[in-house]
Amino acid sequence: MTKSARTPLSQRIEHLAPMRRHLLNVLVTAGSVLLCLLVLHLRPPGMELAGIGPNWLLIWVVAWSLKRPVLQSVMAGLCLGFLQDSLTALEPTHALGLGLVALLTARLQKQRFLQEDFISVALIVFAMAVIAETAMAVQFSLVGERSLPDIWTYHQRVALSSAILSSLWAPVLYFPLNRWWQWMESLNQP
Amino acid sequence: MESLRRWWGRNSLAIALGVASLSVAWAIRQTQGGLLMEIYQGVARPLGITYTPTQRLTDARVRELQIRLTDLERQNQQLQGLLDYKPLRQGSAVAAPVLGRSADHWWQQITLGRGERDSVGFGSIVVGPGGLVGRVTAVSPHASRALLISDPSSQVGVVISRSRNMGVLRGQASNRAVVEFFDKDPDVKRGDVVVTSALSSLFPAGVPIGRIETIDLNKSPAPEAQIELSVPLSYLEWVVIYPGRE
Repeated sequence: MTKSARTPLSQRIEHLAPMRRHLLNVLVTAGSVLLCLLVLHLRPPGMELAGIGPNWLLIWVVAWSLKRPVLQSVMAGLCLGFLQDSLTALEPTHALGLGLVALLTARLQKQRFLQEDFISVALIVFAMAVIAETAMAVQFSLVGERSLPDIWTYHQRVALSSAILSSLWAPVLYFPLNRWWQWMESLNQP
Repeated sequence: MESLRRWWGRNSLAIALGVASLSVAWAIRQTQGGLLMEIYQGVARPLGITYTPTQRLTDARVRELQIRLTDLERQNQQLQGLLDYKPLRQGSAVAAPVLGRSADHWWQQITLGRGERDSVGFGSIVVGPGGLVGRVTAVSPHASRALLISDPSSQVGVVISRSRNMGVLRGQASNRAVVEFFDKDPDVKRGDVVVTSALSSLFPAGVPIGRIETIDLNKSPAPEAQIELSVPLSYLEWVVIYPGRE
């Protein structure tokens, strides 16, 4: 009973015309980005450390870039960076940090060094969160609006909390997205 | 005679006890129960029993202060009327729910559930329970985003309400902020109240901000004081927006 109730949706997706399936894939991907953008505003208990929450967009960029060519990754990183700018302030831009993260993740050649499990994904997210926050701190230092000691003491706090929380929450986003994209890719193969 | 002695023999203890209890009760009555109160507090204090929960007492204290404040505000209004002084905070206020926090860690912002449709505009002042919260920096039809005063980039002109020493407030991302004074030797003490100054172009004068916590007079280039913001910025649920500042 349950099997017959469950199969139709996945079967229907499998039998969609390639064009429509492509559209559905785009919608799901865009929807996941929108979800990340909305969740960024929330600080539910357990998702917060010293007033700092996980960086969902960073997790998304890492999940996207892990198995994609460099150019696609960097473009996604820039896109999400601009979206995050729109939610905070235009300058300094988040696109630089997320673009850098996308570039590094795509160049990582994960297949050679790391295995596919959530420890390695969490580790990558941890390192990338530190890199992204450092990119922000460097930009703040160059703008010169805030005092340097303030920026770098704050950077320590932000980088550590953000890295810990993002890496802990990374699997929540990585696994469903990765499953979906793998499925779509397998359907596209003749 | 014999029967009286027998009766006394039977009841002497009861009578003695009765007289003793009566006199003790009388003594307690005459001292207005001082002994009982002493015993009660001796037992209750180590056990942590208090007659009314302290929370309720604090609430009552707050209510008293509020009443006094309304009274003083009314008096102040009358005096200002006499002086023909125009307060900056005119026009209607809009209550707005706090919907979310900042979307990254480098900015201290909140998202509010009121926008252009409710005549909220860029630069509208946001006030919460405790004093100044921030000002609106982005507006959409039904929502707006406010930069908190705890953000390092939001600089507010402030004044120490006791000594009228002026300075600039710089947020430090949590519930703390730093005031840099203009004077080389400002008259500040721990616990002094900090309010917005009349020289601030972004905020109206006299809105409470916080209290001085520590002072560092030897800091260069200007003496600094750390203040604790009076608004619980991390726990805000509702704020009041004062529209009408362009």
